[in-house]
Amino acid sequence: MLKIENLHVGYGDATALSDVSLHLDKGELACMIGPNGAGKTTLVNAIARLLPIRSGSIAIEGRDVSRLTPQELCDYGVAIIPEGRRLFTSMTVEENLEIGCYRPAARGLKQQSLARIYEMFPVLGERRWQLAGTLSGGQQQMVAIGRALMAQPKLLLIDEPSLGLAPVIIKQVFETISAIHASGVSILLIEQNASKALAVAQRAYVLDCGSIIAQGTPQELRQRSEIDAAYFGAGN
Amino acid sequence: MISATLLGQSVLSGFFAGCLYALLGLGLTLTWRYLKVINLAHFAFVLIAAYLTFQLVGKNGLNPLLVAVILIPVFFLAGVAQQALIEHYKVNEFASIILTFGFAMIAEAGLQWIWSADYQKLEAHYMRGSLQVAGLFLPISDIVMSLVAISLCVMVWAAMRYTWLGKALRASLDNPGIAAAFGVPNRKLSYLVAGASGASTAIGGIFVALLSTLAPSQIFSWLGVVFAAALLGGLGSPIGILAAGILLGVSEHVTMAITAPSWAPVVPFTLLMVILLLWPERI
Ligand SMILES: Nc1ncnc2c1ncn2[C@@H]1O[C@H](COP(=O)(O)OP(=O)(O)O)[C@@H](O)[C@H]1O
Ligand SMILES: [Mg+2]
Repeated sequence: MLKIENLHVGYGDATALSDVSLHLDKGELACMIGPNGAGKTTLVNAIARLLPIRSGSIAIEGRDVSRLTPQELCDYGVAIIPEGRRLFTSMTVEENLEIGCYRPAARGLKQQSLARIYEMFPVLGERRWQLAGTLSGGQQQMVAIGRALMAQPKLLLIDEPSLGLAPVIIKQVFETISAIHASGVSILLIEQNASKALAVAQRAYVLDCGSIIAQGTPQELRQRSEIDAAYFGAGN
Repeated sequence: MISATLLGQSVLSGFFAGCLYALLGLGLTLTWRYLKVINLAHFAFVLIAAYLTFQLVGKNGLNPLLVAVILIPVFFLAGVAQQALIEHYKVNEFASIILTFGFAMIAEAGLQWIWSADYQKLEAHYMRGSLQVAGLFLPISDIVMSLVAISLCVMVWAAMRYTWLGKALRASLDNPGIAAAFGVPNRKLSYLVAGASGASTAIGGIFVALLSTLAPSQIFSWLGVVFAAALLGGLGSPIGILAAGILLGVSEHVTMAITAPSWAPVVPFTLLMVILLLWPERI
């Protein structure tokens, strides 16, 4: 589904990702964990084509996408749930969801998609006319998830969905991610909350200082005590 | 004390003037908010269109509707071309004032060179006459212009609210990167806004030619009051600029009736300052 080889990305002179390679099979849920500043968001933005890359390749279903614009990429069925939600705050909940299905391939399914999302998150249905910027953090995360689902994605990039949310909401968010995965969507999940991420993932990568320092199944990673100490420590 | 008829006539003239402000300011307020371009050349476009109308209708005898059919697409393209230039040179909001001011100066000089600095009036039999209702005069030309201005403002408002393009435009203003990631074509939309704004100057210019006497210096005399209407109405708001334009127009004309005409220009700016002081989050 997704194959990244020797990816280098930087901001000006600073290198943010160096020699990152990873792959994600169709229907798989892979997670990427790593500390703050490791380059996780940079990776997501590079895949979504929101950042230029220096070298390396990104392929989706065997086709190179590393030079596309974000708009062109979205036609490959890639949707993003960005860090910090990044909703269209001055638009209503429903308008946010509608932009999710802006791409022609998803637009025709608008009514079904909306019905599905309001069923998934009834509170969004109740608040469909409310401005997205006035919702609580948890509800905003639901809108961000809903907006991405409206795009009928084959590949979903999720960046720190639990950031700043209460534990009970985090639990609901992870259940939702599992359900989306079960419906056949391939997912790359970025998380700092390693234990939660490893519990739902089939493959895991550990990113630190812009490089992948470990990878394997969640079980394999859990057994590696040095990673444990660094990333699964306090609070998890 | 002024008579009720005079007051009524002033309110009515103010209303018509306000509709013209809205017609001339609609494109300005949209490009200001959505493209971050403060387009002083907007009024140069209006006057160029007005002089072309003066020439084609007054001198060459063309029908104004035909002139509209010619000028609207040409000015749409001119708006797109201007935006392409601004994007190519990555002109920011502040620099856009200077760049477009420069263009307005050049246009003024060009108009003077071709049509002289003297006042000129289009002499044609289109939209002449007026209705008389309850002792008040309603010139046909003003009625038509106001209907066009109101319809355009309402149509743009509805398009921003209910169409895919309008929603995409608002999304790209809120968050261009994420909007693009969902397939919103930010650049195409910005050209569309610039083009629509250009097209609106053609419509405005045709009415300016039909309604008033022309002088190249009007490029700068429109500027103040239309800016005030754009700010007062809330940038980017088509209904806002219509309401603010009418408010300014009516207050100007009523001021003129009860004091002296020289006081009229003071009104919009006093209103603007008072409202901005009381309600600074307006812009
Ligand atoms: N817009 C930017 N400009 C310059 N440096 C940035 C920018 N965004 C992120 N960085 C830097 O790139 C590195 C990786 O950041 P990021 O990808 O946000 O990490 P993470 O998501 O893992 O916390 C950090 O050192 C950060 O300071
Ligand atoms: Mg991050």
